[in-house]
Amino acid sequence: MTIRNLNNSPTGLTRRSALAVTGGALTAGALSRATSAQGAVTLRWWSPQSVPAQLAAYKLQIETFEAANPGIKVVFEPTSDETYAAQLAAAFASGQVPNIVTHLPSFAVGNYWRSGLLEPFNDVIQMVGPEKFYPGANRIYEVEPGVFAGAGIGGTAANSLWLRTDLMKKAGIAEAPKTWDELRTAARKMQGGGIYGAPLPYARNSMTTLIFICFIHLAGGQVFTPDLQVAIDSPETLNALEFYKSMRELCPPGATSYSWGESLTAFVSGATATGIYTGRVLANVNAQNPSIKDSITCTTYPSISASVPSWTFNDFPSMFIPKAAKDMGATKKFAAHIYAPEGYIKQLHAAPGHVLPVLKTIADDPKYQDNPIIAKYANEVKIMAAASAGGFNLGFESAKHKPNAKAGEVVNSAVIAEMVQRVCLNNEDPKKIVGETAQRIEKIVKG
Amino acid sequence: MTAVEALPRPAEQGLKLSTRYGLLGALLIAPTVLIFCAVIVYPLVSAIYLSLFSIYTPTLKGRWVGLGNYADLLASGEFWNALGVNLIWTAGTLVLQLVAGVALALLLHQNIVFRSLARSLILFPYFMSTVVAVLVWRWLFNDLYGILNHAMMWTGLLSMPLDWLGRMPNAMISVILVGAWKYFPFVVISVLARLQTIPDHLYEAATMDGAGRWARFTDITLPQLREVLFIVILLRAIWDFKEFDLIYLMTGGGPVTSTMTLPLLVYKQAFALNEMGGASAVAVLMMIVMLGFMVLYFRTGRTAEN
Repeated sequence: MTIRNLNNSPTGLTRRSALAVTGGALTAGALSRATSAQGAVTLRWWSPQSVPAQLAAYKLQIETFEAANPGIKVVFEPTSDETYAAQLAAAFASGQVPNIVTHLPSFAVGNYWRSGLLEPFNDVIQMVGPEKFYPGANRIYEVEPGVFAGAGIGGTAANSLWLRTDLMKKAGIAEAPKTWDELRTAARKMQGGGIYGAPLPYARNSMTTLIFICFIHLAGGQVFTPDLQVAIDSPETLNALEFYKSMRELCPPGATSYSWGESLTAFVSGATATGIYTGRVLANVNAQNPSIKDSITCTTYPSISASVPSWTFNDFPSMFIPKAAKDMGATKKFAAHIYAPEGYIKQLHAAPGHVLPVLKTIADDPKYQDNPIIAKYANEVKIMAAASAGGFNLGFESAKHKPNAKAGEVVNSAVIAEMVQRVCLNNEDPKKIVGETAQRIEKIVKG
Repeated sequence: MTAVEALPRPAEQGLKLSTRYGLLGALLIAPTVLIFCAVIVYPLVSAIYLSLFSIYTPTLKGRWVGLGNYADLLASGEFWNALGVNLIWTAGTLVLQLVAGVALALLLHQNIVFRSLARSLILFPYFMSTVVAVLVWRWLFNDLYGILNHAMMWTGLLSMPLDWLGRMPNAMISVILVGAWKYFPFVVISVLARLQTIPDHLYEAATMDGAGRWARFTDITLPQLREVLFIVILLRAIWDFKEFDLIYLMTGGGPVTSTMTLPLLVYKQAFALNEMGGASAVAVLMMIVMLGFMVLYFRTGRTAEN
């Protein structure tokens, strides 16, 4: 990873600039002492990941940072996957921005960077040590050669296929499905007695959009071409819609309003035989429904046929710093502190297998491996880690694609979720709807 | 020198008494005018001004488009659909609130057991935070664990769980019902307060004249309630028309755009599409529509009074 030093100053120092620097330093020092004396340096940290175990990990990270940096206070403020865009838009517009934002999908970072709203993340990566990251872990954030808009805080395999091995056995299914036909047949066989086949989302929300984008890719299609022309109007999208619609009868009635939480709960509670989620399933099953903890496994999500490879949705949970954030020095220091082994491992252990490490030094750390869930489901974690490493999202659909700065707005507009609802719930003509959706996306792209 | 002579004469001061009174008056109302400008005029003018630009929300930078946002909106089906949905929601929930509110107020006006307790409890939904209320209702409506589906299946009314929030017309009916449940206590307290001031002798005289319960209600109670109902309908119509949180949290505007009201469209334009100009245009149009309805309402009310 080549990182450009953004702090290079010109060599020749004039008397005027020396005076200015000295004056500035004195003023900054005085101000710093004043604010320290008042305890006024408060850093605000936003994240949509805030289940109790994660909050406990954040608390540890905050406490250790505050202990090492007297006079600086860190406040954690939760946001959510469905509302962060609105909250951040309002924050940027009002100038009341948080200091650090973590766990948002990578495409959000690209979008904000292109609007000139973010501070380069190079200093933080330098503080952490670029050699500690997995090779290419931050390629998605390299917005200009050597300039990083943010960095990964983890990896996910958000569309992993979760299976109940006990139900598979009961239904006479020997192997995990690899194609859509096999998946549908398996789900049909396992459905019954109050258990549904799958918890696929059919709501007007970001989960439906993001999951259906996976299905377009699993059909061999794409939403944008590598040079970012709208390509959703394709036979592959129609095939994906046809399959998705056929799965409706195998999903709970309320899947029409499912988001991530409901879909996860449906599988964890035992209401569905298959699931579609990240590794958070592991911790939740063990904590909330241990009766099935020995009967769950996961694999990559099936595709339309054996000739189409699986496509993993990795939202590349990110970390970035808004340009308008106050106390930039302390902010960057805290950002680097988040990667410190003790706190980072605790954060990863809060939902083992859900957010996977981006630092190879952490993945190899015996303390990270020393977790009962990671040890018990070593194979599943390995599958998800491999899938996550080769994962993509709408901001970066394949290795050939350019980063898509409009991905966030396409997701937030819900046009893809509306397309799914109109075809799968309202039985409207798929060809017409897909054409209209392509036009709507083009309109968003043109802004 | 006498005391009278000591008083400065207007001519000496350079200002007439009436002018001084006028200035004093202006000075006294200045704070009110300033506050009015800050909280009413400035946001209104700002919204109109913003609606003439195409503005990217996070940076608030944009370019002049004149009436382009309005032309786009009026030409798009999205605005008209949202307006239609908004009217259905407002009318549906308002009618239910009025019917339930008046009925409950009449009941609580009777000498029933635990009347004081019932009068207190009836306010509970109105005081409850919308977020909490929606969470509770979403659990009640849940297909897998919701008590509504379980009860209806147990009694044999349903064979399969009903999708309350994800299909039409269920989603609209559900939000209307929850909206009515949440806000009908306002009607109850307003109507109950008026009921307590209707003189008993009116009912006694009517009873002596042979009027039954229904006749007493239509000929005495309703006419007496007319003024309070006029205000209640006006306020509740305004509040329901611009309702955002309850609908957003219940359905998010779905399925598709079946419960997408104008406030949700404003939110979508401003924060999902980052089009602050377009959002302001929707908000301005929404205000004009509401203003139109209010003018119509007042005229109808005045005609009925005459």
